[in-house]
Amino acid sequence: MATAAPAAPPALGFARPTFAKLSPHPYLLTNLTPQSPSDTPCRTNGRAPHEARPMHIHTSSLSHAHGSALVRTGDTTVVCGVRAEVLPVSSIPQFRPRTHLSAHNASETEGRGELKDYDLLVPNIELATGCAPQFLPGVPPTTLAQTVSTRIYSLLHSCRVVDPADLRIWCDPSPSGAAAGERDEKMDTDDNEDQREQEGEEENQPQLMAYWVLYIDLLFVSFDGNPFDAAWAAVLAALRDTKLPQARWDPDREMAICSSRAKTTPLRVSGLPVACTAAVFLKKEHAETATSTTGENNRHWILLDPDRLEESLCGETVTMAVDCSGEGGEVRIKSIEKLGGTVVGRELMRGLAGVAEKRWREVRDALGVNV
Amino acid sequence: MTVSAAPEAALSVLPRADGSAKYSHAGYTITASVNGPIEAQRRDEHPYEAHVDVVVRPAAGVGGTRERHLESVLQSSLTQIILVKNFPRALIQIVLQIESTPGNDYVNTKLFQASLNFSIMPALFQTAVLALLSAAVPMRATATASVVAVVSQDKEKKLIVDPSAREIEAAQSVHVLAFTSHDELLLAESEGDFSVKEWDDVYETAKKICCQPESQKAGIEMVPDDDNARGPDMRQFLRSTLEEKVAADLHWK
Repeated sequence: MATAAPAAPPALGFARPTFAKLSPHPYLLTNLTPQSPSDTPCRTNGRAPHEARPMHIHTSSLSHAHGSALVRTGDTTVVCGVRAEVLPVSSIPQFRPRTHLSAHNASETEGRGELKDYDLLVPNIELATGCAPQFLPGVPPTTLAQTVSTRIYSLLHSCRVVDPADLRIWCDPSPSGAAAGERDEKMDTDDNEDQREQEGEEENQPQLMAYWVLYIDLLFVSFDGNPFDAAWAAVLAALRDTKLPQARWDPDREMAICSSRAKTTPLRVSGLPVACTAAVFLKKEHAETATSTTGENNRHWILLDPDRLEESLCGETVTMAVDCSGEGGEVRIKSIEKLGGTVVGRELMRGLAGVAEKRWREVRDALGVNV
Repeated sequence: MTVSAAPEAALSVLPRADGSAKYSHAGYTITASVNGPIEAQRRDEHPYEAHVDVVVRPAAGVGGTRERHLESVLQSSLTQIILVKNFPRALIQIVLQIESTPGNDYVNTKLFQASLNFSIMPALFQTAVLALLSAAVPMRATATASVVAVVSQDKEKKLIVDPSAREIEAAQSVHVLAFTSHDELLLAESEGDFSVKEWDDVYETAKKICCQPESQKAGIEMVPDDDNARGPDMRQFLRSTLEEKVAADLHWK
């Protein structure tokens, strides 16, 4: 079936879209196989195999969210809104009280546990918006939506993008502390430390009374393949855009008091992990014998940033999240997910790390970050 | 917390399923049942190939987003090794029931955890492959999986095979790799912070566990001690489990 496709004359009487709908695999294969050796292979969407769609990011477009971003790559458009809500510790089951000092001395792993244990980051993905024909509107979340949200959640935690210190709301009974507000940077000054030591009283220590919970909602406006890359870029852009109101705990009213909208502090976001997805397109349709025999029939193409048509034809996908914002600009891989095939081995994975690094620069420029 | 060092498995433990397996390793116990090829539902029917349906049931409660993710990972990997082309319009159903998981006393235990669970993936994978073999579902290759964690100890990177929950928490990165019996990389999942070089080391270690060459294990005397200390030889384990089962089945002769 696939072998006959390149010979099929274009004068068959079909328009290109019809051909693409009737037999998508030969259609993509014909496009990728150059007619003459001098031609470069080109995908159905006009891109070269290693060419990703440019990313456009627009932030602060939602007025009622604390942070928001709209990300567009080709025809995939995602809106992400970050909404912070106060979670009093009294309503957390299994809450482990912590003092101001212990919170500061806590090791990194414990801080990570805090975010995870109390579910302070809640990503959710909505695909059933009529964004693509395969997702029916108004149905329970599809497997894809659940999978992507699990991966976003996992990457958020493993990259430690958000510092839990930013999400703590303190109750400070001492008068100086109340005047200084709840920002813990203020509390670190030496005279405060001395004062606290002199008093040495339990009730004069600032107490952790509540947390900010970040509800990260992603809405696919239109879907044209590669949901994870776009969703992750939207999450990152929205978190970078998030400004939390200054909050302190009022012990008399037993509630958190927030400052006015004008007095907000931006959320600190550490690192800049960027996801990069590639799909493997096999020459043989319904490839069963992807065995180690590397014959002419087992040719494959690595398609970066696949669109919906390509995704439906490719079994194997690789997603790699990299961050080059560390010291020396060294490539640090944050996550790899490779499944659904056996083509990508060790060498191809190395090559993909280089491709992902290039993509990282593109997305960084789209985000407008100088690292 | 007692964790058995060597993996254990029993085949065909469920009498009414086409095939089943019980597998326990590193504190995980999983039972799998395989039915297939059976009639597929209309929406799952594929004109050219069998649909592989994977259901992961947690030890307590009902499955959440994490189980859906595990199912999709297993589904796409197992579709690659099962000869799905042989059964068009059919369904091969794999149900994996997690029976016990190693506890972690250091963290709050929550019923629902949304994050990825890397340490359970090899166990699920291994059980599914054993159950498929027990159900005599035609396969292109068998597959083996392992989990490796990279820990930094005194400024030095150390690889831990089959890390405990506590070790995973302290680890810099955790990796799950699965290889087919043709030594091809079938599945790779990694998380944490690592370089390409570190991933290469992990790849080597995992490959050693998953695909030890046939010749090395021909004689018991030939197996060097230090290689065995690094982790179990999964391929040999798969083979010996099946040999045992076949020997037991043919005992009446």
